[in-house]
Amino acid sequence: MDKRDTLWELFQKKNISRRDFLKTCVALTSLMGLSTELIPQVVEAAEQKPLPPVIWLHGHECTGCDESFIRSQSPLASDLVLNMIALEYMDVLASAAGEPLEHHLEETISKYAGQYLLVFEGAVPTAENGIYCMVGGKPILETLKHAASGALAIIENGSCAAWGGIQAARPNPTNSVAVSEVVRGKPIVKVPGCPPIPEVLTGTIMHFALFGQLPPVDSQGRPKQFFGNRIHDTCYRRPFFDSGMFVENFDDIASKAGWCLYKVGCRGPEAYNSCGNMRWWNGMSYPIQSGAPCVACAANNFWDNDPFYERLPNIPVPNTIANADKIGGILAGVTAAGVVAHGVASYIQHKVHQSKEEKAHGAGQQPEGDRDNE
Amino acid sequence: MKRIVVDPINRIEGHLRVEIKVDETTGKVEDALSSGTAWRGIELVLKGRDPRDAWLFAQRICGVCTTVHALASLRAVEDALGIDIPKNANYIRNIIAASQMVHDHTVHFYHLHALDWVSPVAALKADPAAAAALQNTVLDKYTLNLSGPVSFDTSAYAKDFPKATTAYFKDIQNRIKKVVDSGQLGIFAAHYWDHPDYNVLPPEAHLMAVAHYLNMLDRQREIVIPHIIFGGKNPHPHYIVGGMPCSISMNDMNAPVNTERLAVVDNSINLSIDLANGFYVPDVLVIGDLFVKAGYVDGGGLAGQRVLAFGDYPEDHYSGIANGDYFKNLLVRANGVVENFGQGVAKATFYPLEGKDLSDPNVLAEGVEHSWYSYPETGKDLHPWSGVTSPQYTGPKEGDKTHWKYLDEAGKYSWIKTPKWNGKMAEVGPLAKYIVVYTKVKQGIIGEPTWAEKFIVDQIETVSKLLNLPPEKWMPTTVGRTAARGLDAQLSAYISKYFFDKLVNNIKAGDTNVANTRTWDPATWPQEAKGVGLHEAPRGGLSHWVTIKNGKIDNYQAVVPSTWNACPRDSKAGYGAYEASMIDTKVKLAEKPLEILRVVHSFDPCLACATHLYDREGKELSVVRTDPYL
Repeated sequence: MDKRDTLWELFQKKNISRRDFLKTCVALTSLMGLSTELIPQVVEAAEQKPLPPVIWLHGHECTGCDESFIRSQSPLASDLVLNMIALEYMDVLASAAGEPLEHHLEETISKYAGQYLLVFEGAVPTAENGIYCMVGGKPILETLKHAASGALAIIENGSCAAWGGIQAARPNPTNSVAVSEVVRGKPIVKVPGCPPIPEVLTGTIMHFALFGQLPPVDSQGRPKQFFGNRIHDTCYRRPFFDSGMFVENFDDIASKAGWCLYKVGCRGPEAYNSCGNMRWWNGMSYPIQSGAPCVACAANNFWDNDPFYERLPNIPVPNTIANADKIGGILAGVTAAGVVAHGVASYIQHKVHQSKEEKAHGAGQQPEGDRDNE
Repeated sequence: MKRIVVDPINRIEGHLRVEIKVDETTGKVEDALSSGTAWRGIELVLKGRDPRDAWLFAQRICGVCTTVHALASLRAVEDALGIDIPKNANYIRNIIAASQMVHDHTVHFYHLHALDWVSPVAALKADPAAAAALQNTVLDKYTLNLSGPVSFDTSAYAKDFPKATTAYFKDIQNRIKKVVDSGQLGIFAAHYWDHPDYNVLPPEAHLMAVAHYLNMLDRQREIVIPHIIFGGKNPHPHYIVGGMPCSISMNDMNAPVNTERLAVVDNSINLSIDLANGFYVPDVLVIGDLFVKAGYVDGGGLAGQRVLAFGDYPEDHYSGIANGDYFKNLLVRANGVVENFGQGVAKATFYPLEGKDLSDPNVLAEGVEHSWYSYPETGKDLHPWSGVTSPQYTGPKEGDKTHWKYLDEAGKYSWIKTPKWNGKMAEVGPLAKYIVVYTKVKQGIIGEPTWAEKFIVDQIETVSKLLNLPPEKWMPTTVGRTAARGLDAQLSAYISKYFFDKLVNNIKAGDTNVANTRTWDPATWPQEAKGVGLHEAPRGGLSHWVTIKNGKIDNYQAVVPSTWNACPRDSKAGYGAYEASMIDTKVKLAEKPLEILRVVHSFDPCLACATHLYDREGKELSVVRTDPYL
């Protein structure tokens, strides 16, 4: 096998200073949500680990995840694609088409057997032996199984690959499933989202490029550093929820004031994702900030949790007041500014803290590919 | 005669296969077929859902032309339920659509299409100093000095301008060399870089274009910032039926839209104008000019014979689409069909497309003669409101059902249906839109052009002068299809600015409404309703058709641009646009059909859009699932 360049070797070849290299490592450390104490480990990883070849396949999808991928600010798509990974197969960006491209796929699979990262985007239609998605004259189901057998690790990119996605919503006419339903015995990490936040996807790939292994994941196989909290836990509108200040109708005075969207259907209380903390375009906005209730697009089978404007049942609001309807009733009769803040943590918030405390002793955030069962 | 298969077609959205029969001695393509090779069934998933959620599901038809299916879906549902949206919501939706247009075209040209014209390998032979000189010449000669109406230009100067220094091009060239030398070509691997067509341009043009490929890969993300501000994310920004969720307030520090947020949008629009003017338009015109001068005026196919467009950007209030009012109030009135533009604009024939035409099954219908579906009555095409999709997969001509050698052009061979206007095929897309507007203005059908329509005519006439060819010679070609998209990006950037100005002025006048929620409650809806939503999307005329019964979606159908263009042939109507354009293209090396990639890419194929058809009855699919082959 050819020797592959490390990130540090690439910097050296390009005559970029050690100082710039270290600055890059610091930036990457913070990008990946790691503690600054880990900078030495990131530097070491960048010096020693070779860049991984990547094979990127597409099943039943809309290519929104690729579009999201090229929207990444840090790292930039150009830096990632041309300098940090060897993207050997990806039909959306590849120069080549048809037989030469398929031949190159086979070459890559055999040349880098056991070493490449497989990124799969989209769901896998399994009905009728996979004839609902044919690529290169054969079912993508077959190509996936073939490419997966030699992969070092697999990323399920987006909600379709991770859970089946929109084509798997009822009645699932093509019997579409997640990658992990048809591939077993390989390290698989889920990066759900419709699409995933750009930096969540590129951050996961960077983690693999730097450390040579998948990032630590939660019980559902998602990177903890990006899916460890609900949007509700980090939402900048959370204080309005805790204070019982809700949007009752779209474009009402509460909507202009930017209050909590729970009562118009927001799924933030059950959505595990980084929209609340990282947001989109490095902090520019996310649906809630733009006045739109979260639809929990990274959650398993979220499409069948519709209608989306019906509010989630049984999310207790501040425990000084019984329920959201009662608060709405009060609100209707009171001027907006007159509502008193109730600084009491919600039951949910309480439970999250409790569960974190219980786990605290085993939780050294080492960059290891362990799965813990929460 | 050699039969060549290209599968997968790369650098597109979705899964597309083409097969061509080439006469190896003459390079003539005798026959060509285009096949959509995947089917997801999203419209079936939509059945029974809340119509207020339809846009969310429909938006996932495509993530490249993200947002366009959401918009068409919202318009269809609002048309059905008779909902008027506030002025601000219309302006914001138009800004989202126009910025999507600029973005989609830019990424298509640089990242999905450029490598059919330029090569990083050829760029290695360039003299960096000559490349810098070429860049200056290109900016001098190929910049179109046109601008749209801007009531208050916030941009002090063009912030983004192509670099034209020797050092810059030398650095880019060194970096490409390192990638090539490493042997790990990544996305540049396995292509026929030795094809003679990569000699049409001088090495310096290759280096300039590859530098811009990299530059635009990192700048494109900033073009869609309006989606982030108004819709919270991209791809797939958020809307609501009745308007937009992004409330506007200048009195609340936590408002979704305030002056600071508007300034972010304004910056992005200014950038998109700079990128179109300084990069995209000059780049596409210099490449086009050199190819046209080298004799490449093929690939027209249907474009010179029949094109169709819907037009877009409602200026303000319209009362409905199905009743035809939508067409009376557009900034770009491209609604109609033009036949025989290839014979010159004076000899072309214009046919209007008006409200009543939309509901007439004789005007718009889809057939399945060569598609893997069956209809209740063989040979009888169906209007989208009464569309039926009953899958009938028959496999290939050679090979077996899961391993194809050749598809069966005499039988069924695609998951795409065949849409028709008056029983005929038509090409759609930016080129079609430009042909329709140009014909309507030049023939006096549009008496008083809007600024945007005049802009289109000015662009076409300036480019005709530059190329020294009349429009009918350069437009219906592969080059023309690609150039029209670049011109459309420039126009769209100014359209964003135009509606941004309108939004600001309306807020200034005291109107901050973004949503009409008077009919939010399904109890206010009629028991049965049907509507259509039209949108002139980046790839052409898009229509969504919805039927609502008892507050739920009863029937949903989308006839999308790539259905029009990528569709299989029809025994009466002839070839679809992809197939006709391939037949109209000469291939030098049958084993390396670069010309075929170039002409198919010139349509900006979007296959997930095209193959998503729906079974109205629902029951038929459950029967179908028991069939061993379906």
